[in-house]
Amino acid sequence: MRCFAAVFSEPSEQKIATNRLDTLAGWDSVAAATLVSTIEEEFETELDLDALGTHPSFQSILEYLTKESDA
Amino acid sequence: MRLLEAQEAIKQSPAPESPVLDVQLACGITPLHFSTFLQAHLRQDFPSHRIAINSGVFGDLPGNLERLGSVVNSFVVALIEWQDLDPRLGIRSLGGWSPRQLPEIIRTVRDQAARISAALESLSSKNRVAVSFPTLTLPPISFTPGFLFSRFECDLRSIMASFSSRLSEFPEIRQVNSQHIDQISPLSSRLDVKSEFNTGFPYSLTHADKLADLIAKLLREQLPKKGLITDLDDTFWLGILGEVNPEGVSWDLDHHAQKHGLYQQFLSSLAESGTLIAVASKNDPALIEEAFRVRKPLLARDKIFPLEANWGPKSASVKKILEIWNVGADSVVFVDDSAMDLAEVGSACPGIECVLFPKEDDKATLQLLYNLRNQFGKTSISAEDEIRLGSIRSSRAVAQVTQSAGYTPERFLREAEGKITISFTKVPPDPRVLELINKTNQFNLNGKRHTDSSWRQYLNDPDTFLMVASYEDRFGPLGKIAVVAGQSQAGTLNIHQWVMSCRAFSRRIEHGCLLSLFQKFDAQEAIFDFATTPRNGPTQEFFAQLLGKAPQAIFSLSRQQFVKNSPVIFLHIQESSGE
Repeated sequence: MRCFAAVFSEPSEQKIATNRLDTLAGWDSVAAATLVSTIEEEFETELDLDALGTHPSFQSILEYLTKESDA
Repeated sequence: MRLLEAQEAIKQSPAPESPVLDVQLACGITPLHFSTFLQAHLRQDFPSHRIAINSGVFGDLPGNLERLGSVVNSFVVALIEWQDLDPRLGIRSLGGWSPRQLPEIIRTVRDQAARISAALESLSSKNRVAVSFPTLTLPPISFTPGFLFSRFECDLRSIMASFSSRLSEFPEIRQVNSQHIDQISPLSSRLDVKSEFNTGFPYSLTHADKLADLIAKLLREQLPKKGLITDLDDTFWLGILGEVNPEGVSWDLDHHAQKHGLYQQFLSSLAESGTLIAVASKNDPALIEEAFRVRKPLLARDKIFPLEANWGPKSASVKKILEIWNVGADSVVFVDDSAMDLAEVGSACPGIECVLFPKEDDKATLQLLYNLRNQFGKTSISAEDEIRLGSIRSSRAVAQVTQSAGYTPERFLREAEGKITISFTKVPPDPRVLELINKTNQFNLNGKRHTDSSWRQYLNDPDTFLMVASYEDRFGPLGKIAVVAGQSQAGTLNIHQWVMSCRAFSRRIEHGCLLSLFQKFDAQEAIFDFATTPRNGPTQEFFAQLLGKAPQAIFSLSRQQFVKNSPVIFLHIQESSGE
């Protein structure tokens, strides 16, 4: 959540956790690239954006990272 | 710094009414995370400022720079990568790597370099500019094997070297040292191919962070340390002087003491660039003088002042040196091979930086010199740097005269043949002026500091004046020692800044400066933007003498009051053109 909160300035953590990212204020291509790079650096992984679907959310990314770490 | 930390640092922005530090980031790449890291590092360096980074359009570095033509009093950052000089030198372009195209690419690079250079030179007249030359590897464009330095690459490097050399002639243009970036960011891990393909941002996060940190360092006004105090035995030279006598100490290859020679050579270079060098040694002073006279170390004896040699604690010597130099402990580095002496000095002189001379480790000694270079380095050597040691010696001579029998201030000042030269020139901005404003504590009207940009802005206001005073007397020159800035309106002076180096105390130079201002502007009153600070006691005493009471925040002093209460000024005052 810290990675998400750093990228978005306005929405509350609850709003981030329960909404699609593309519906949140401040979501654009720069925010997407920043979020991906931040997560990749913090989790030392490579994020495959295509695997997250067209409308990524906090939940879908969390599931992706969990699956990756279990693999 | 990690990207997450950078983003969180940016979020800790100061209040909306805080001053804004404008940074124009000119690059051909997508600025993306570099911009984030730069903002975060600048936040650390300028904690009271809000940082605003503006960038231009993708893929057009020369155009982005040219479009900044009207920008003034700003920081300009130019990130040059190979693809900015010709897109075929990047990996996002498919313009061809044919051997037949190589001469044409060289021509394009030469033309683009000239265009970028012209834009940077023009911007540097009104802004501080930081430039980074290509940090990424060239693509496999030439037909030669990668381990062979091809004619093509040689020509490219030659163009870059000429370009860099030309920019180095402009004092406001600061370039990233390629050797330094090579040391902290390995070449092989700088490029992020995936990111470059996907977003047009070619840097790995680590490289973006390191480069942004360096650029931020180039932009801020780093005040170098003022003085270095060194031990002698097993530090300045190899050997214990008291045991082996002057002929037994060494600093050369033959005696396996080369690191001490390098250290001496380094200190000599520091001394010649205006750094104060002193010695604190537990030794017999006569033996030391003999060693310098007979053995002639690479740092000459006359470059050391003072030389404190005795059998007492090192901290007492260091304290005495600080007093003679009249500088704070936090501006000084103490180098010694004894951890115990370092600890003793560190605890007695809070703020001083104590550095162990690694006498058993050649590699660590070289690293020590690199570290010291970063701490004492300056962008240029000023006239004040060249006379600093002389002026401290003369201050010492003055102090000795004032302690002699028959001394009276009146007699001393009358016989000192003091002369102040006043200049009212504002342009071009003199770096010494900003240095005095930002370093002076004791004689300082209000403690207000300026950034390079805010100071330029102040000077650009046509209603402001700037007075700079230089001083010399029969003991020697002190250089530029006082700065007064303000406005003059209808016979009233509004003084916004007034600082004077503590080396210039007790000569009534402050009285001479005020007299000159009243005369120059034919003013009858001066209003001072005064504020008490924890360290400006001498300023408070000066005004209390003239006012007959302690000064309050923003007070007025009439010319009549000044003439009535000022002691006699034994100074010859003359105005110069400021050159």
